[in-house]
Amino acid sequence: MALGDLKQLLLAGEPRAFWDALRTASASARDFSELIALSALRKRAQARGIVRPAEVGRVRLAVLGGSSLYPLHELLTHLLEAEGVGCDLHTGEFDNYAAEIREADSALYAFAPEVVLLLPAAQRCHYPGKLADPRDRAEAAAKAVADELLELAALVHERTRAEVLLGNFALPARRDLGELRARLPTSTWNFRKRVNAELALNAPPYVRICDLEFLAYRSGGLATEDPGAWFESKQPGSPEFLLELAREAAGLIRDLRAAAKKVLVLDLDNTLWGGVLADDGLEGVEIGDTSPRSEAFKAFQRYVLGLKQRGVLLAVCSKNDTVVAERAFREHPEMVLALGDFVSFKANWEPKSDNLRRMAEELGLGLDSFVFADDNPAEIEIVRQFTPAVATLLLDGDPAEFVGKLADSRHFEPRSITAEDVERTAQYRAESARQASLGSAADMASYLGSLEMRATVRPFAEIDVPRLAQLINKSNQFNLTTRRRTEGEVRELATNGEYLCLSLRLADKFGDHGLVSIVVGRVRGGVLELDTWLMSCRVLKRQVEETLLNEVARLAQARGCSELLGVYRETAKNGMVRDFYPRMGFTPAVLGDEGATYRLELATFCPRKTSITLVNA
Amino acid sequence: MTQAEVLAKLQTIFDDVFLEPPKVVAALSADDVDEWDSLIHISLIVAIEKAFGVRFRVGETEATKNVGELAELIAKRQLEK
Repeated sequence: MALGDLKQLLLAGEPRAFWDALRTASASARDFSELIALSALRKRAQARGIVRPAEVGRVRLAVLGGSSLYPLHELLTHLLEAEGVGCDLHTGEFDNYAAEIREADSALYAFAPEVVLLLPAAQRCHYPGKLADPRDRAEAAAKAVADELLELAALVHERTRAEVLLGNFALPARRDLGELRARLPTSTWNFRKRVNAELALNAPPYVRICDLEFLAYRSGGLATEDPGAWFESKQPGSPEFLLELAREAAGLIRDLRAAAKKVLVLDLDNTLWGGVLADDGLEGVEIGDTSPRSEAFKAFQRYVLGLKQRGVLLAVCSKNDTVVAERAFREHPEMVLALGDFVSFKANWEPKSDNLRRMAEELGLGLDSFVFADDNPAEIEIVRQFTPAVATLLLDGDPAEFVGKLADSRHFEPRSITAEDVERTAQYRAESARQASLGSAADMASYLGSLEMRATVRPFAEIDVPRLAQLINKSNQFNLTTRRRTEGEVRELATNGEYLCLSLRLADKFGDHGLVSIVVGRVRGGVLELDTWLMSCRVLKRQVEETLLNEVARLAQARGCSELLGVYRETAKNGMVRDFYPRMGFTPAVLGDEGATYRLELATFCPRKTSITLVNA
Repeated sequence: MTQAEVLAKLQTIFDDVFLEPPKVVAALSADDVDEWDSLIHISLIVAIEKAFGVRFRVGETEATKNVGELAELIAKRQLEK
């Protein structure tokens, strides 16, 4: 949409249409001026009272740095606001971050940030000694630069609990030193690389690296540097680079609390192999080492397999005959992916949107955790229209570009790699086996008994923090309050004596589900106030919630509580737990602004029957 | 490009950048336009460099007092191309 059209929407005073168009335009803006113009329009709209209909969340953001933070902060604020993240902003003084962080009474601490973006200036990052100095001196100096930044990050995190987005250093793009650039440990080129490596390898979990080295490499070093802008107004780089940097930082901030995609659904013909299986036959499809095109498809399958190995669930949705399509995976010797790599395999002639809906039901996942990739624009369009929650990726044109397109879609960037990620496909496949055995079991009770389920309930443990944070930030459906928390906040809860924080792991005869349910409650005046109760949907209807309630009740009484207080905060996705507390025997208390609240008297509470054996560690 | 041609092309850039675009004349300056703050100014300069295919030298846009002088600078940098 052109700027002119947006202006018309603004002048017409239509909030929803304006904000929708603004979000789309901002997400696709590739030009500094365009984004600044969009930002100006947004501020004009807000000044005129044309407010965003729905806010996804708010963030208190402090931006500190060694270069000018203006207009970078303008771009960053705009990208967040356009996506529905309200932004309260504090910007530090130019190149004053060390003092701002060290002085406990600075404006930074009065502001109380939740996220700190710290961007030291590359212009000042070079080895201070002589070019001929020995390697150990240069390396020690690089480590000292990194250590100081990490120390500042630690200090600000300690005082505010904020997540820290720490910028590293772009490498110089000019031809200084010739061949010695690569050889001398004292060259700015090698020095900054060393500092960046020290930063990344020693960064604690509350630090996210804002990778300027990568961003500059990706855009091209020469397009990134802008010495004139540095001399005029201390800009960290060219206008285009500011845009890249703002986008990266906005993405990191959104990712702190947003849900990631979980399932990659792939078409077959001309997506996972070249050609059409039904026309060209098993021998005719392009996959393997026989031609450049077939190598490209093989490389794409390898990349997809790599995604599975880091926890992405794979599925197939293709217009094909099931028997023929399955045979291709079983019998083609060059196929990289195997049938066992997919949690769902739909090869039929139904509309793909219907297949995707069915998949979501079978896997117990929301459609908004799906990404659908196809070479056919018509199929992409159908999915967009009929299942708009599904993200789509058009893989048309040159198959050599498929890996790059999928990687640059950024749908599957892991926040952290946990052991659960690696096991996930096995867990979902076991779920399919359970569904099958559900068909044969005479009734639900004997089915549940036959699963031989074992649960472990224990307080939050340090080793579980990445998985706890992942579940807290990903679960949408079985989630009573949808309170998102960062890893830092989870870690803090675990040590806060006022809170009772429990996690539940479940295993059965088919396999280990891992950590699947979380309860967080605050003990106050003899009441345990449950501020979080959530569960992974892959263990629905397994009596996990009953088992956990029994433990919550027992431990609450042990801590002197006489009552549990539960809250249900409605969202677009958590309708399935609307009746959760009444179902668990709670009685309605009040319907307040925060949502519906429910009480459970512990004195009269009888532990609920479950088929799960508790094996507390 | 004559100054009139430069001003006419500048008008199209101003139309994009400003919500209520001012009429571009040689005597126009930032002081005459409420919307023209430092952010809009940065955006204008970047857009002008792109539209005219020129690159300003360090400090020289800050030295221009009004749109007329800016147009002269654009014309001068264009001649060097």
